[in-house]
Amino acid sequence: MLEVRGVSTRYGQISMLRNVSVTLREGEIACLLGPNGAGKTTLIRTILGIVHPVEGSVVFRGERIDSLKTNQIVKRGIGVVPEGRRIFPKMTAEENLRMGAFAEWGTSEVAGRLEQIFDRFPRLRERRRQIAATMSGGEQAMLAIGRALMGRPKLLLLDEPSLGLSPLLVEQIFEMIQAINRQGTTVFLVEQNARKTLALAHHGYLLQKGEIVGAGTAAELGESDIVRHAYLRA
Amino acid sequence: MTLIGVWVVELGLFVLVVAALLAERPIALGATVAAIGIVAVVARSSARVWRWVTTSFLTHRTGALAGAAVLALVLPFFLRASPYWTFIATMALMYVTIGQGLNFQMGTAGVINLAGAAFAGLGGYTVGLLTVRLGFPPWLGLLIGPLIAVAVGALLFIPILKVRGHYLALVTIAFGFIFNILMNNLEFTGGPQGIKNIPTLRLFGYAFTTPPQLLGMTLPSHANFYYAALVMAALVTWLAWRLYNSWVGLTLNTLRDDEIAAKCSGVSVARYKLLAFSIGNFFIGLGGAFYAVMVGFVSPPDFDFGYSLVMVSVIILGGLDSIPGIILGACLLIPLPERFRFLHEYRLLLYGAAIVLMLLFRPRGLWPATVRRYGLREPAASFGAAGGLR
Repeated sequence: MLEVRGVSTRYGQISMLRNVSVTLREGEIACLLGPNGAGKTTLIRTILGIVHPVEGSVVFRGERIDSLKTNQIVKRGIGVVPEGRRIFPKMTAEENLRMGAFAEWGTSEVAGRLEQIFDRFPRLRERRRQIAATMSGGEQAMLAIGRALMGRPKLLLLDEPSLGLSPLLVEQIFEMIQAINRQGTTVFLVEQNARKTLALAHHGYLLQKGEIVGAGTAAELGESDIVRHAYLRA
Repeated sequence: MTLIGVWVVELGLFVLVVAALLAERPIALGATVAAIGIVAVVARSSARVWRWVTTSFLTHRTGALAGAAVLALVLPFFLRASPYWTFIATMALMYVTIGQGLNFQMGTAGVINLAGAAFAGLGGYTVGLLTVRLGFPPWLGLLIGPLIAVAVGALLFIPILKVRGHYLALVTIAFGFIFNILMNNLEFTGGPQGIKNIPTLRLFGYAFTTPPQLLGMTLPSHANFYYAALVMAALVTWLAWRLYNSWVGLTLNTLRDDEIAAKCSGVSVARYKLLAFSIGNFFIGLGGAFYAVMVGFVSPPDFDFGYSLVMVSVIILGGLDSIPGIILGACLLIPLPERFRFLHEYRLLLYGAAIVLMLLFRPRGLWPATVRRYGLREPAASFGAAGGLR
């Protein structure tokens, strides 16, 4: 579904990613593990065209997207929960959600989707007229996921959706991700929480200092020395 | 409160405003200012009184608007003894027009523009050049002037798109100064003398310099421009209101809130910033063109940096991103310094004090932006019912 082939990116003189290749298969949950500063967010930004690679290519459903603009890329069916969630703070919950379906603005589709999101997150229905900045961290996380789902993405990118949430909420978020995936959305999950993530994902990649240092099924990764030492402390 | 009650409140405010404008002697002025102060204190003394007043106005919104429109229409009759105040009222309406444009850029889309006077100047100078040098009729100038402001703004947009925040502020300030220096030094713009003798507006042969006879009363000739400005400000405000409450306004709000998240939602940042910038410059240019036709004369000091700051003050005082707030801001900020002209330089002290008070008590403006309504009258979701996620 999505193939990142030999991508290198740099911010000015600083090289962020070196020869990174990632393959996401339709219907799967793939995860990307790695410490802070490894380049996980940069990889997400590269897929989204916020950063353009200096080498390599990104192919989404048979089409090269690495030179497109972000708004063109997301219209091809990629939804994103960005790092830090990046909800629109001064807008209401409902306005945030509606922006998620920006490409189909004004169509009869949107109202139906909004109801589906509210069914999935009843909390957001209660809060629909509330300014997003005044909502709790958990509600904001749901809002960010709901907004990404409003565009009916074929591929959902999640950049540390559990960051800063209580263990109970993290559990809920992971269950939601699984449910979203079961309904047919391919998921690419960037996380620091290796144990939980590997329990959920089918495939995984390990990124360190801008390079892929490990790849395989979730089980294989969980067994590998590098993951066990660095993340699982086993 | 019934609709009649709403009208009585409006009439009372109107009487106070007219009295404050026309009071010449210190005692009369002092008494009016004191009365306004008392009204303000009583209205805000308890939350219940204030909510009672605002909900009455909201339930009778159409009636309240109609009442305000009637009062705006009869204002020149009360100011007929004073061409000066009629002129100031017209200026306030012109600043409503300009303020709506600037607010569209800064308040709604978050595109800082500290060159408002330069864009108004582009409108004004276009009128001057077209009418005086090329013999165009003034109404055509009024139409073309704003378009020139939009066109030049679109050129300036290329460097603007790449910068944000403080840097954007600097780019626009620089543009304002470049405009002023050019107007001062170019031959065809008349240099420091500017362009004189811009012909006045004519409507079906009726020149706007003739004092109008209405209902058996003779009004000062400025009343013509007052009514024209009223139509202009009302049209622009209505347009801004429609745009603001449509998906366009919402999309522009996402640019202000978070550009990256907007991109990730599929918004083309460049296209919508350009849209906001152009709509804003159209309104600002229209205000400037109107000024040229009204005063009949444009020169560089009419559009210097100080006026850009006045425009920004109007929208900050009224409330960024708040369309009714802009009207309030312009109608306070333009007449007030004129009213206190007898204080000479001490006016500036008053200005400073007003800004400090604003920052302390109304940091989001006198009439802050509210949540869009979508034609629904639901009570806002309660904040108290929180308490974690199941």
